[in-house]
Amino acid sequence: MDFVQTNIDGLLAGSAYALLALGFSLVFGIMRQINLAYGSSLLVGAALAVWLEPILGLGVVGLFLLTVVACVLAGLYVERLCFAPNRGKTGATVPMIASFAIWMQLDEVSSHLLPSRTHNFPGLEIPPMFFGDLYLRGDQIVQFVVAFTSIAALYYLIYKTRFGLLLRATAGNAETAFLLGAPTGRLRLMTFLLAGFLGGISTFLILSADGQVTPLFGLWSTFKGLIAMMIGGVGSLPGAVIGGLLLGLIEAHSSTQFGAEYRDITTFGILFLILIIRPGGIMGVSAYRTGRLAQERI
Amino acid sequence: MSVYVASILTNMALISFLALSAYLVLVVGVVSFGQQAFFGVGAYVTATVTSIYGGHAVTGVFIGMLSGAACALVLAILTVRLSGLYFAISTLCFAELCRLGLLQVRAPFDIDGRTTGPDGPEGFSNIRWIFEHNYSVQDFLVLTTVCLVALLGLLFLLERSRIMLRARLVGQDSILAQSLGLRPILYRIVFVTLSGGVAGFGGGLFALFNTYIEPNMFGVMLGVHGLAYAVIGGLGAPIGPLIGVAIDIGLLESIRAISAYRMIAFGGLVALLLILLPQGLISPRFVARMRRWRKLFHV
Repeated sequence: MDFVQTNIDGLLAGSAYALLALGFSLVFGIMRQINLAYGSSLLVGAALAVWLEPILGLGVVGLFLLTVVACVLAGLYVERLCFAPNRGKTGATVPMIASFAIWMQLDEVSSHLLPSRTHNFPGLEIPPMFFGDLYLRGDQIVQFVVAFTSIAALYYLIYKTRFGLLLRATAGNAETAFLLGAPTGRLRLMTFLLAGFLGGISTFLILSADGQVTPLFGLWSTFKGLIAMMIGGVGSLPGAVIGGLLLGLIEAHSSTQFGAEYRDITTFGILFLILIIRPGGIMGVSAYRTGRLAQERI
Repeated sequence: MSVYVASILTNMALISFLALSAYLVLVVGVVSFGQQAFFGVGAYVTATVTSIYGGHAVTGVFIGMLSGAACALVLAILTVRLSGLYFAISTLCFAELCRLGLLQVRAPFDIDGRTTGPDGPEGFSNIRWIFEHNYSVQDFLVLTTVCLVALLGLLFLLERSRIMLRARLVGQDSILAQSLGLRPILYRIVFVTLSGGVAGFGGGLFALFNTYIEPNMFGVMLGVHGLAYAVIGGLGAPIGPLIGVAIDIGLLESIRAISAYRMIAFGGLVALLLILLPQGLISPRFVARMRRWRKLFHV
């Protein structure tokens, strides 16, 4: 029974990681770049929302909308400052470092917005459910359901609409897509806004399940999203979902087996092994291989 | 010189070692988020040698440097296949594994009535070598500066050699380098190992100067700061990373009025600098231009 409970806990936590990983995967899939400022842009969104909410007095729904809007705006800021001006200049390194610089900046902004270490984040008041011995937290169930609804909506958007077709064309070959008339610059911006939107939803869900927001959330969400993406498969949307769920399961099992202090060691160890043995992640081998082939072509 | 100024300058010199090690990795065209691991390993090994085994600081820092280089060699060999982003993330993983591993090492020793030795999250305290040998902060500043200048001298010699020229070619275009008969992987392994040595050396000095170290000092933030200094300084010459350090710590930390908003200013500054000068302040192109000017005036 404990085993089943651990699996359930892992999957519920993993749904949040999957949402975070989708943000990274979208940006990497379309632009082949890593947005290190993603976690801190979510943190600054949450900080802004927590800071504004008592002033405006909107309640939980207002807080949710504020978080999403603030995260989208933070994504816009990061894209305009780090990624749009550096496109096609010096490969992927410069935007990555620039996004790191913005990470530090946004972390500092958030710690000014949240002067004490922890701030209360109003949760969704949902009673827990019991199935025999199994214990399910209500807010985590909501998190799971919302996560999978968003993933389904994203899937529809990317594989069934004209906008998604343009996005996939840009991801496949940006130059050809541009020559055929796709507004690649605007599409890249839209990718960031979409990632910010998804990030805003996941930020609200994670923070309301925790009941608090701390300045460490930025680093935490960057790490979890990045690790889940790397495990599942770089730039692959199903990979991000699988990676997120797997990360949740790995964490839950390693902390029940070896104790909480070995949880991160196991996670990083598994990621390191995956990178060495199967660098593209579980689902993303094709993305890795095309990148490599393109590099080796003379 | 007051103790405050001397300790800021010493910290600048110490972080310069980290920035230079990030520079050495960037020269061969890969990005490492893991230089702090070698810095931390160097610090822990030096601390162990000097305060548990009673070794001399020179021995300690030397062994620290070797162990940093050894860790880097292991990492470089494990990650030969990886390129670009994958290499960056694997270095990050490696560094976090080192940090989390050090958090689990608990071997406190009792030497002369003082607890020393690694003690998990409590850290490694009482590294008393500089007290026992009556080094003041100013003396240590002189020592660190001499080491840094010696390292810069070595790097300038390296810069004039063919090895560096070839390494730069590998960094700029590894396919072209390969077609000219160079082996990019070999250069990468050598330079990553060198960078580990430089970082380990700096870490050793850091442990001696700080007298207390803990694994969480060597988190991601430390390594990425070193990387940011190297990137804004530019890859043209080894002096570049030092300029990066001077801008951040020297300028922003010493102006007290903005020190609370330091990261806001520095982060924005780095992002803007990278838009204007994506190759950093002292870019290879800048260095080449300077060389041409020098020829014009001297001949």
